[in-house]
Amino acid sequence: MLRTIVHLDADAFFVSVEQARNPALRGKKVAVGGRQRGIISSASYEARACGVYTPMPTSRALKVCPDLILVSHTSGLYGEYSRRLFALCEQLTPLVQRSSIDEGYLDVTPCGFKSLGDVETAVRKLQMRITDELGITVSFGIASNKLVAAIASKLKKPRGFVVVPHGGEAGFLAPLSIGKLPGIGEKTEKYLNAHGIKIVSDLFERTESELSSLLGSGWRELLESARGVDHREVETDEADAKSYSQQETFGRDIADRAEIERVAKRMLEELMRKVRNDRKRVRTLTIRVRYPDFSQASAAHTVPESSELETAFYAWIAPTLDAAWKKRRPLRLVSVRLSGVDDAPEQLQLFSETSDKRKRLAAAVDALKQKGGEGIVVHGSQIAAASSSAAGARKLGVKRGDGDPGRRDKSEFGRE
Amino acid sequence: MKFKINRDHFSNGLAQVLNVVGSKATMPILSNVLIEAEKDHISLTTTNLDLGIRCKIKAEVKETGAVTLPVKRLATIVRELPNVDVGFDASPNHQVKLTSGGSNFRIMGIGKEEFPPLPEFGEEKSFTLEQAELTMMLKSVSYAQSTDETRYILNGVYFNFKDGKLSLVATDGRRLALISKEMEVPAASAGSIILPAKTVGELLRMLDKGEKLKVSFNDRRAAFQINTDRDTSGLVDSIYLYSKVVEGNYPNYNQVIPKETHQRIKLERELFLQCVHRAALVCSEKSNSVKIKLSSNLLEITAQSPDFGEAHESMAIAYSGPELQVAFNPQFVMDPLRALTKDEVFFEVKDEVSPGVFKTLESFICVIMPVRLS
Repeated sequence: MLRTIVHLDADAFFVSVEQARNPALRGKKVAVGGRQRGIISSASYEARACGVYTPMPTSRALKVCPDLILVSHTSGLYGEYSRRLFALCEQLTPLVQRSSIDEGYLDVTPCGFKSLGDVETAVRKLQMRITDELGITVSFGIASNKLVAAIASKLKKPRGFVVVPHGGEAGFLAPLSIGKLPGIGEKTEKYLNAHGIKIVSDLFERTESELSSLLGSGWRELLESARGVDHREVETDEADAKSYSQQETFGRDIADRAEIERVAKRMLEELMRKVRNDRKRVRTLTIRVRYPDFSQASAAHTVPESSELETAFYAWIAPTLDAAWKKRRPLRLVSVRLSGVDDAPEQLQLFSETSDKRKRLAAAVDALKQKGGEGIVVHGSQIAAASSSAAGARKLGVKRGDGDPGRRDKSEFGRE
Repeated sequence: MKFKINRDHFSNGLAQVLNVVGSKATMPILSNVLIEAEKDHISLTTTNLDLGIRCKIKAEVKETGAVTLPVKRLATIVRELPNVDVGFDASPNHQVKLTSGGSNFRIMGIGKEEFPPLPEFGEEKSFTLEQAELTMMLKSVSYAQSTDETRYILNGVYFNFKDGKLSLVATDGRRLALISKEMEVPAASAGSIILPAKTVGELLRMLDKGEKLKVSFNDRRAAFQINTDRDTSGLVDSIYLYSKVVEGNYPNYNQVIPKETHQRIKLERELFLQCVHRAALVCSEKSNSVKIKLSSNLLEITAQSPDFGEAHESMAIAYSGPELQVAFNPQFVMDPLRALTKDEVFFEVKDEVSPGVFKTLESFICVIMPVRLS
């Protein structure tokens, strides 16, 4: 059988999951997002009809759709549904690539189907099973490659099911608007529309030199995409994390540098625990800041040797934050990302007395937190945050992960 | 200022000082060589403020004086001149006329006043060494210097004159090389410096010009006076190399040198090097290690990378200890083997998380940390 790729795309995933948990929400204008200052991360189709889209500041969403039912994030829930969703997919084929929490590719080529019709039947069964077992709906696209399958799955949402027969790729894409092609963002789409390229087939009306002057060096790739050509394989080993990240939206815009630095340090600590838990090491720290007008900037630092200890990055928090936070304006959000994930065998060090001690300390702290919760032991810098800003967190509106039990006498803890 | 000089001598002299230039953006003069004509020779000096080099070449000086010229361009031009006789004539406005056969060049120079002087150097502590011996010692350890700029203390070779010997040490935190030689060290002259990597590189380039050299140092600077008595291409007197030293405390290297020997094997250096080199050909950036396995009279070296393949090498050795295996970055194994010249080396290992140690009978030690076997 010819190569056949299925693309799965869950419909309004977070909202669907909330609706599955609380059926009273079904058929209503529902959105998942932060209440006061957050962003809508998922909206039901009913809410979308009112003009709510993602990502959109919650405040604006409530303006365009005053009767919107807002549900806040349920930590851990979506990951769990995602795991179950892909587990069902893996019963169809082992070749599953998760491209995000609610999207993925399935390669069904080696599954012994005799015809595309057989694939269609099997995938329809899977679609039904997902709805039955998880209570959420998903859309599927079936085609000869990843590119066309992904476009097909998004074409008739929700509960979409679009099959593009082998050889029919170019014909399928031809009447679609140009913005459906990967790599064509909103801006490029407008630009191309202005130059008379509205649908995919318009591209073929132009000469190569016209395309090259319109699109620059990428025109050949775009033309390949327009013809529905894509040779990328479904990569199954993507289960490993490529980066670790965390962000925090403040209760109100914050200009207190020391406070933001402390928040960043705490996020670093929490992320490093995940890194250690996965038995990985990381090399690059990226800090991103967002201003009240949603403009953002980021800066990164890469250490020469990957590490699983926050101490390798502590010293870089302040300079990296400074490099990102250039405008003299308060911040509404800060995020920390750790990338350059390394799981190669570890090169042992000669002068390792200190780092060996730190590793043992980190292991002990991780074990304590595992047992007694986040607040059972906290870093000295976080204690300082609590005492220096008095009622601190709540007053500043910063959501704190570490609870009060950890705030003991300052003298018990060394400062970094 | 006016002199006549042999093209090849001039070219050789410029080659000695060529590598030491500063970044053009901060001080343009640092891209220039200071040329001073006195009596029967010219001096060529370059500096980047951290490191300065001066050499002297014989010349037929008709009129003394000094000027500075861009060293890279000048060296290229001098090398290409058609005739072995070169005339050099600088006018008071720092324009230099260079003539050779039918070639005439006019080059814009800068006055010597702007050229930063090399540091005045009192003779705080000084020792005389053999050039050939220092070359051998530096080559035995310099590969282990760190290139990681955040560990600047390790970006150099540590010279320790103490307790009747000179020890040279280099480490990047994952391996450490040490060589020492016995010599008289009066208590008053005992001391140590960290010589920056760049200076080590330049020093190694110069150390075949003669018999002896003199090293002088204090807490901030070191100077090397390198005799040129074996040079036949125009160098006279000595080459002088002045360098800042890396300021800070070198780590206590003695604590990481294993005190006890567990399993010691004698290896044919060249053969072992070839085996490790071949095995390492399958390594990749992601899986950069070779596994060394010892069993009864047999040493096996294996390497693999998941997306390429694997290699297996074996060598007969005299070994009757317990079976054990340990993995290393192949570069760390090959570097000391390449730097040494003896036919045989000793290799000591203990277990998969303890360091491997190369030794020779000449008080050479190289400690390499393993890669954890997963």
